Amino acid sequence: MMNRLNNLATLQIDSSRKISFIFRGKRYYGLEGDTIATALYSNGIRIFARSLKYHRPRGLYSLDGECSNTCMEVDGIPNVRCENTLLKDAMEIKEQNVKGSLENDKMSVIDKMDWMMPAGFYYNTMHKPAKIWPIAMKQIRKVAGLGTLSPDFKMTGKYDEIFPTTDVCVIGGGPAGMSAALSAAGKGLRVILLESRPVLGGFFEYRLKEYKEGQSFHERARELAAQVEEAENIRVFTHASMIGAYNNNLITGFQIGRESDCFDERYIEIRAQSVIVATGCIERPLLFENNERPGIMQTGCALRMAHTYGLLPGKEAVFSIGHDLGLETAISLYDLGLKISCVADIRREGQDSELVAQLRERNIELLKGSVATMAHGAKQVNKVTIATVNGTASQDYNCDLLVASAGLTPVTSAITVVRGRLKYDDHTGYFLPDQMPEKMHATGRVLGLDNALAIESSGRLAGLQAAFDCKACSIAEIGEAENELEKLPGPTQGTKLVIAPVKGRKSFICFDEDTTIKNINQAIDKGFDVPELIKRFTSAGTGPGQGGIPGHNLPLYVAQYQKLPSISIRSTTVRPPIVPTLLSTYAGTNHAMFKRTPMDEMQREDGGVFRNIGVWQRARYFSNDFSCKAEIENVRSNVGILDGSTLGKFRISGPDAVKALERVFVSDMSKIKEGRVKYSAMCNDDGCVIDDGIIVKQGENDFYFTTSTGRAGSTIEWIRYHTRYDGWDFHMVNLTDSMGVINLSGPNARKVLEKIVDIDISNEAFGFSEYREFKIKDTISVRAMRLGFVGELSYELHVPSSYMKSVWLMLNEAGKEFNIRNFGVEAQNVLRMEKCHIILGQESEQRTNLLDVGLGFLWDRNKPKAKTVGAVALRQAESDQTRLKLVGFKMENSGRAPRDGSLIVDEKVRGYICTARDSFTLKEGVGMALVEGDLTKIGTRLEIYEDECGDDRIYGKVVQMPLYDPEGTRMKM
Amino acid sequence: MFSKQKPLWGKKKKLKSSYDVVLIGGGLHNLATAYYLAKNHGVTDIAIIEKNFIGFGGAGRNTAIVRANQRTQHNVPLYKEALDLWPVLTKELDYNLMFNNCGNLNLMHSEAAMKAARTTISTAQFHGVESHLIDAKEAKELVPALNISDDITFPIHGAMFHPPGGIVRHDAVVWGLAKGAAEKGVEIHQQTEALAVGTKNGKVTSVTTSEGVINTKQVLISAGGYSAGLINGMLGIKLPISVLTIQAMVTQPLKPLLNHVVSSGAYHCYANQTLKGEIATGAHMDPWPNYTNLSTAHFIKHQAEALCEFLPCLKGVRFMRIWGGLADMTPDMAPILEGNNHFDGFFMNCGWGYFGFKSCSSAGKYMAEYMATNHCPDMLKPFALKRYEEHKLMGETAALVSYSPDN
Repeated sequence: MMNRLNNLATLQIDSSRKISFIFRGKRYYGLEGDTIATALYSNGIRIFARSLKYHRPRGLYSLDGECSNTCMEVDGIPNVRCENTLLKDAMEIKEQNVKGSLENDKMSVIDKMDWMMPAGFYYNTMHKPAKIWPIAMKQIRKVAGLGTLSPDFKMTGKYDEIFPTTDVCVIGGGPAGMSAALSAAGKGLRVILLESRPVLGGFFEYRLKEYKEGQSFHERARELAAQVEEAENIRVFTHASMIGAYNNNLITGFQIGRESDCFDERYIEIRAQSVIVATGCIERPLLFENNERPGIMQTGCALRMAHTYGLLPGKEAVFSIGHDLGLETAISLYDLGLKISCVADIRREGQDSELVAQLRERNIELLKGSVATMAHGAKQVNKVTIATVNGTASQDYNCDLLVASAGLTPVTSAITVVRGRLKYDDHTGYFLPDQMPEKMHATGRVLGLDNALAIESSGRLAGLQAAFDCKACSIAEIGEAENELEKLPGPTQGTKLVIAPVKGRKSFICFDEDTTIKNINQAIDKGFDVPELIKRFTSAGTGPGQGGIPGHNLPLYVAQYQKLPSISIRSTTVRPPIVPTLLSTYAGTNHAMFKRTPMDEMQREDGGVFRNIGVWQRARYFSNDFSCKAEIENVRSNVGILDGSTLGKFRISGPDAVKALERVFVSDMSKIKEGRVKYSAMCNDDGCVIDDGIIVKQGENDFYFTTSTGRAGSTIEWIRYHTRYDGWDFHMVNLTDSMGVINLSGPNARKVLEKIVDIDISNEAFGFSEYREFKIKDTISVRAMRLGFVGELSYELHVPSSYMKSVWLMLNEAGKEFNIRNFGVEAQNVLRMEKCHIILGQESEQRTNLLDVGLGFLWDRNKPKAKTVGAVALRQAESDQTRLKLVGFKMENSGRAPRDGSLIVDEKVRGYICTARDSFTLKEGVGMALVEGDLTKIGTRLEIYEDECGDDRIYGKVVQMPLYDPEGTRMKM
Repeated sequence: MFSKQKPLWGKKKKLKSSYDVVLIGGGLHNLATAYYLAKNHGVTDIAIIEKNFIGFGGAGRNTAIVRANQRTQHNVPLYKEALDLWPVLTKELDYNLMFNNCGNLNLMHSEAAMKAARTTISTAQFHGVESHLIDAKEAKELVPALNISDDITFPIHGAMFHPPGGIVRHDAVVWGLAKGAAEKGVEIHQQTEALAVGTKNGKVTSVTTSEGVINTKQVLISAGGYSAGLINGMLGIKLPISVLTIQAMVTQPLKPLLNHVVSSGAYHCYANQTLKGEIATGAHMDPWPNYTNLSTAHFIKHQAEALCEFLPCLKGVRFMRIWGGLADMTPDMAPILEGNNHFDGFFMNCGWGYFGFKSCSSAGKYMAEYMATNHCPDMLKPFALKRYEEHKLMGETAALVSYSPDN
């Protein structure tokens, strides 16, 4: 294990707490506070991964996961970015995408065959002759992909979710973000602050340079953080990455839990009135030959390795940088004991004179106007060629560390994912916010600012701008804050160098996809001349790093290669999630989502086999005999009880209630008599049946009606929508959940019901198709209907949900002497099929209209008051004989019934079977089918094509409907 | 492969003042139509007018699934031919379209769904397309990652297994067809916006573009989600189309895990593994019409919830990228292909919803025949606009569709 630096105020590790972990089967130790990557680094690991295509060795490059260089398998989870995953006790870590070992990957020979693989070479190879493609594809699939996930992998851990609302959401807990949060909170607003790293402080946190007399940047960060943590109305989420931003300031993110938290990760969805983007900068990768060799890292990475984790990242270093932070890092690391051969600065001038003086004091050679052109060393950098930026003179330097960075690049993804616009800025060389989305404000380094005081001032300004959005701040205050910011230094000039003076065969613009500068040239030459097309053709920027590496360089390089003016440089698209996010984190905790009827528990106790039907769970069977023979025969010969509580149930009342009903139902509602049940249906504008149900009149302008189970959710909206211009006076109440329904059916139904009611329910007093309201035991109000859906004497009792169990128990008690028993949805399905009563969705489909299913008699064409939805279409379709029509059929020669969904065919498909069963009641195979008009005549032979039937057919014959009890005597008895 | 790179679809040319045929929209259907006009009918004086870049709409935003297990006899043959054309086109275009003939597994979660699947499967088998109804255990044998236990929201009853389907590299189809068409003389004008279609005496006469006016007698608008708006704006023809954003996303790349396209209607979710190893997933559309192309927070969360249930091992993988595209939905989930109806020389090919990718090759082929002969091929006759006037929906979906309350 490497020695750690001690006594640095910035350290986030605890040297006294060792953590053991397993890497490639061997035990190693890290310290508390380490990331997996820093722990591995401290154990001498330098190669962390092999690249996707060429299997080039890859090392620690940044510490924020902008590329897949440190992706490993951790505890069975593939593609974990080790550089920002904290080390935990007993973690099991394995390398990925390697044949052999990280040090000796057998696949790395591909690196030498790059000349065979120009951009898009796949499209031109492996398809001639055609039969090699499937074989080649298999190999491609094997070598593609990074990590391995086992099909029986079981995720452990807790995944939570929260949905807070706030006045202001600040993304980024650096100096600008903290200043913004404090200034918004100072206005009395609720603030949420998201910081992706485990601690607040941003790029102040790990720097020991002087912020002001007697205070370092680190101390300033701690000072601000303390203020933020003390502020009561700021809720801080650390180790929480923002992953998405959506319309109306919906911000999503996720937080990684600490040991003490009750979750491993949690999804956070924040609705904010105003959003502040204080995401700071990442570094712009430097493009040169072998720019991704292990041993090459960005300046922030090198500095944080030392200051945060106490690890001096090398012994002898070369710096090739383009920003003052590079100079600062060189000085800091030199002071900690790093030998520095030279610092090559892309800039010829413009360096901070104090930093230059400090370099000189330390005898560190500063080469202005120079840049690294090539890294040497097969697996790790051991030498670097430094040249002037125009490529005229060059010199080699030995080293084991190359700190390389072209400069900075603002992190603007939070802005662009909600369609904020960026503009290329010639002065800084950045893409800077041009048009901000509504109520979103950029601040700090996102605006290109460099000066520490300006960054904080800009944060305070953004806080006030957000407060203004929340009506908690005046324009004058914002003006003052703007003036304050204007007095401070603005953005400094950035470096313009796009690429070191090299051809670019091994200069990688995208690490994840192994895309080189040469590949980009090839793509442009092929006509893919804009970054968005190049991304598709070369895959650059589409890997696990989400474009963090090529995002800035690609558009710059494309413009440079084509000699386009800088005005034409457009940033590439960034898409959420901005940070790769586990599916289990997105999914969070899953809740049971189905509704249960009041009878749910009792029916389960009775052995009900439940199924999801729409938003409900219903008992479909009451035994393991899914033909439901016993249930069916009991209803036909005795009495059965069914829970129909899932029916949609509504009350509609008011002076215009009839008109509203007539608008959507096809029947004339003015003719409904009190005490009678009206069956009707609804159509859409094409005349297609969308629902059916019964309507009863409860009083003057007061109706109660039902819809099918699946339609209950949308009925009120449907009626409201179709009456929206009429200004009618009516009211609707959805009673679906407050009322339960019991269906009591069978020849003995009356005998059972009689025992628990006080009113006369004889056929004369309460006949078929009639409606009665009464009370059971003077307490339970019941709405009772005589219906005949299953074709037997039948009562449908609508009972307040809270009384459902009581009535159910009373009926069962009363029915005991008749051996009353449950019947489920499937038994009901067969019973009603025998009676040829349709179920919408089963005997109808999208294109089936009212007339097609034989319900034309419900349609009252002369309705006076209201135009009926679908009536025009019904008139137009009335004489069309080519439509699919519903018929009943029996099987020929006592054959078995076909399977539901089988086809009716001749040379073509002529229809299909809706429902068919071997009927216990009728002792033959029967069913209903939708067939073309010319096949509807009674006696027509139907040729039935079942799946897997080959050349075999079975035959049925069209018969009169209904199949069971054609006179309807049984339901009227 | 070693030669100097040349522009794949020809060097940029200046727009001429007249073409025999103008195709508005640089997506797959027009690229295919252009290719077949040139190849099968010798019509090569063609300009494809694309406002943005070729393949920037639905062509580059779909999840590349191809199949021929549609529900009706009108659709199955068209999609079957499209499926058969992938290897043919790979050869003809000399461009690897990377057809991964992995088969599609469509999960069924109820008795009703099994019945609906049987109609679809029977229709496929009747038309000589391989498709089978299998039970949950057989599905698990094909896809070991499936959760076929009862403890999920929608337990799996079985599946429709359609071996001839699979995935095709969608961008490759765009580039391959562009290359093939350009080699035969078709001109592709990117960054050129069509502004108006000129007509005189009921005949098409010209197309006005941002780069100048083109005289022409035949125009085809096939611009994906933008077709309905363009056709109405330019010619005043209102179509029964609702445009909705549909989203898709991919995870980080993995070594081979899913060897089939797996989809579920109840979960509103499909998943397949791309050649790069990403799990691509998506399914339902935004619940209201919009042209935004924006992704939403709800959708990616829903997708994760669904996948974590029926493919639970995916809990351990990360989503990497989500995007949106437009689906132009008709009331019956079937497209509108029409020509010489409102104006002589005016053709439309739109309303494909989210089926535009799988159908592009055969639809382009027949559309080319339609335009070259001015005679509607039998294959396209069922897709005429008049079916809506006659209230004769196609029946491509069993269930009612409702994109908005007025649909």
